[in-house]
Amino acid sequence: MLTNTKCECGHQNPVGTVLCEACGLPVQQEVAESDGLLEMRYEGAARRSQKSNPKLLDRIWNFFSSVKVAVYLIIITLLLSILGTLLPQVNVVPSYDPASYYAEEYGKLGELYYSLGLADTFGSWWYKGLVLMIAASLIICSLDRIIPLYKALKKQQPVKHETFLKRQKVLYIGEVADAESWLKEAEEAIRERRYQVTREGTSLLGEKNRFSRWGPYINHVGLIILLAALLTRGLPGWYMEQGFSVNEGQTVSIPGTNYYLKNLKFTEVKEVGPHVSGQELQFAFETDAILYRCVADCNNPFAEPQLEEVLQHKIRPNEPLKYDGYSIYQIDYAFSPQATIMTLNVLRDGQPIGELVLNLTDPAPAYQLGDVSVELTGYYPELTSVDGVPATKSRLPNNPAFILDMTLADGTTEQYFVVPFQQYQTRISGAEDSEPLTFEIGGMEASFYSSYLMVKVERALPYVLAGALIFLFGVVIGLYWQHRRIWVRIDGSRLIVAAHTNKNWYGLRDELAKILDKTGIEIDAKSLDNSGVGKS
Amino acid sequence: MNVEQSAALLDLSSTFLMVAFILYNLSFIVFGISVLGKRWSNRDADSHMRRWGGIGLWIAILGLISHASFTGLRWAASGHIPVSNLYEFLTFFGMMVTLAFIVIYAIYRKPLIGLFAMPLSVVIVAYGAVFPSAVTPLIPQLQSIWLYIHVTLAALGEAFLAVGFAAGFMYLLRTVNFKDRSASGKRQIRGVEYTLIALITLIAFIVLVFSFNGAGYRAEFVQTLIEEDELGQKVEVEQTVTYIIPPIVKPHNSVQVEMQPFLGMKEPLFEAPAWMKGVNAGRKLNTIIWSLAVGLILYGLIRLIIRRPLGAVVSPIMNGIDEQDLDEISYRAIAIGYPIFTLGALIFASIWAHQAWGRFWAWDPKETWALITWLFYTAYLHLRLSRGWQGTKSAWMSVIGFLIIMFTLIGVNLVIAGLHSYAGV
Repeated sequence: MLTNTKCECGHQNPVGTVLCEACGLPVQQEVAESDGLLEMRYEGAARRSQKSNPKLLDRIWNFFSSVKVAVYLIIITLLLSILGTLLPQVNVVPSYDPASYYAEEYGKLGELYYSLGLADTFGSWWYKGLVLMIAASLIICSLDRIIPLYKALKKQQPVKHETFLKRQKVLYIGEVADAESWLKEAEEAIRERRYQVTREGTSLLGEKNRFSRWGPYINHVGLIILLAALLTRGLPGWYMEQGFSVNEGQTVSIPGTNYYLKNLKFTEVKEVGPHVSGQELQFAFETDAILYRCVADCNNPFAEPQLEEVLQHKIRPNEPLKYDGYSIYQIDYAFSPQATIMTLNVLRDGQPIGELVLNLTDPAPAYQLGDVSVELTGYYPELTSVDGVPATKSRLPNNPAFILDMTLADGTTEQYFVVPFQQYQTRISGAEDSEPLTFEIGGMEASFYSSYLMVKVERALPYVLAGALIFLFGVVIGLYWQHRRIWVRIDGSRLIVAAHTNKNWYGLRDELAKILDKTGIEIDAKSLDNSGVGKS
Repeated sequence: MNVEQSAALLDLSSTFLMVAFILYNLSFIVFGISVLGKRWSNRDADSHMRRWGGIGLWIAILGLISHASFTGLRWAASGHIPVSNLYEFLTFFGMMVTLAFIVIYAIYRKPLIGLFAMPLSVVIVAYGAVFPSAVTPLIPQLQSIWLYIHVTLAALGEAFLAVGFAAGFMYLLRTVNFKDRSASGKRQIRGVEYTLIALITLIAFIVLVFSFNGAGYRAEFVQTLIEEDELGQKVEVEQTVTYIIPPIVKPHNSVQVEMQPFLGMKEPLFEAPAWMKGVNAGRKLNTIIWSLAVGLILYGLIRLIIRRPLGAVVSPIMNGIDEQDLDEISYRAIAIGYPIFTLGALIFASIWAHQAWGRFWAWDPKETWALITWLFYTAYLHLRLSRGWQGTKSAWMSVIGFLIIMFTLIGVNLVIAGLHSYAGV
């Protein structure tokens, strides 16, 4: 079916046009036949979504270009989000078997909640799908409108058809004695209110704050950037999160990185004396840490990694260590006192022959004490016995025991079994006739705290923030400024003034009344309201 | 500063809060005179309204200054901005509502808004005072400048949205036809009544807590809870639960230690069901039952006396008010509140969460509810600006929006536990 879209002013409009691009006369039949106020949205320009005879792609486009659909998507997301807060989500549930956890803790309701997938609402495919649909709606809604709107505003003309003017929401019709001098005054008055004025014959167009029309599209672009930034989490190297713990004095490889971290000391920072609440004030807890870069033998179980110090930093809540795109956060800590290094004095006949410094978490295999060489051939951090054979209960050095092979200066060898905490030692093999060596604890070093840290890569954050700020900028220019236009048309002595704004009609009427007042037309702002037209 | 000096400052700050509270009430009364007194004889309605409206505004400003002094002194005494428990946050929120009202008044000069915005801030401050006022030290994660910016801006944004509610609700009182017998008319009348009942219940609750507290009422129970320890073993933990309102419902699995008799009631009538898991669920349930009962009785009494819907009695106050002005004011307040809320409750909140926890968004219930609030007002703006939802529809949305905000601020803390949970009555 062909529709005639040629306006009586001679302008050829594209299919789907509501109001003539040139003179504003309604071209669409239903609009032309009614006599109510004109719908000025998108200037009555043709939008892609209004194409006749749509194909599948057009139908998808039309679906997402609807504001109604967008609002439905928002409301559905809102309702599902509410459901997602009713019970704790799986990521915070302290259990490895969430299915039975929900059933046990919350009964039948919990079981249903889990089986419906609501226990992982925000990680579910349907929630993500909704967010993607909102993103599609943001893009398509914006494109569908901004292009025709931009074109229409760009080619608008000052001379408008009488019908167009009379069907505006703000209207004044009157008489002027001298058209030319009145127009001069009016142009001056309109300009004074910071409008841009174009004149053609006895018609005027005043326009201001057109940029405010771009506000909604700018804020949509901001949101699209924000959502796109969140998608980058899927790119390799853009997002990483790993927890790890490090005891005082310990150096550990930071998971997922080429770096190592040493916990020099863990401290709770407290205020001296009680706070007004009667409690001791905890300012912070901090890990005095050194960050190392591993240059060789990284994660090689057979060799010590070669480390190069990068920097030292006190990691506290709100003060993460940041380096090379990695951030290391202080998450928590535990008080877990533990021996780390034990010094044994080795004596022969009561005379010291040297000190054996044993690292209890990872002891070295060989030592040299003067002319005696020592080899550690057995280490049981927490001694126990299994069928009479020594074994260890755990890797924690709660009751360490050592088997030491000593090679003396004369080449004889002796083997000792030593349990320092129990002051027990025995010579397993060696010359029976000589006095055995004795081992005494000479000193201990301990770590008291275990620090829980988290290493994080979040490269999307600056883009998320940029998106959010662009969104806000768009909201502000869209909400606090209004695009206002005033049309003046004089035919002989008959004056028609019409005005349009995208919002805040009250302000526009007020402004127009003030402008008219300057040209000698006194009128109450309220009476400029043309809303009643065609309603009765 | 030593502890005694801090304690003295705290005492002084409470006095300022009291003064602010009295001034807010006074301002409310003066706005009432300004609006209702315009029909008194021997005066010009407009100049009467302007004069008394001006006085009301100045009293509100004095109240705001006094309230700000409370905040400043408490800040000095505790060493951190007082927004870290429900008492502090709600009193602060009340102050922001006053501030938002003053800003809106400066734009529109309509004393009528004061008649609704001032009682809103009175009720919010009074509600805050129900919660324990003790200073609590901040945990290290909260000791950040971003917390200050995040909470204050979020509260300010929500305050503007609350003023939007006040104006929207006035619009409904002005426009709902209380004689309309059609289905939609009845629905509107019921909606207005429910909103009023909710407000009355809230006031009943506040009065209840203060009266029993003032009378020194107490009851105590020892509750046995079953908790899981770190190794996943079930252990029994005993916990003392103190009631300051007579217990109709006692905590689940608990033994009465002490209970002052109330109207001949020597022991609770019910026990809280086991499936209510929250912290002090029994006590909260008891409080809810009490406030609902007292609120409904109060409402019933009012209905008995006036023999009409309450809205029908309140709405004549609105006669002669331009409803389009109310619609516009409600929308404008929301338009101001929306970006401030976005900035404070979402953007700055994310920045702070990123610094403190290493995660800018973690779907914590409070966070999710902030998003829900934002989605709701986003829908409001779309419906209003591009689908022409003005007047009644948008007024109803402002009422629902305020409900969502109040749930986000209080309900989430009391009902759903999370990073933001504080102890409650």
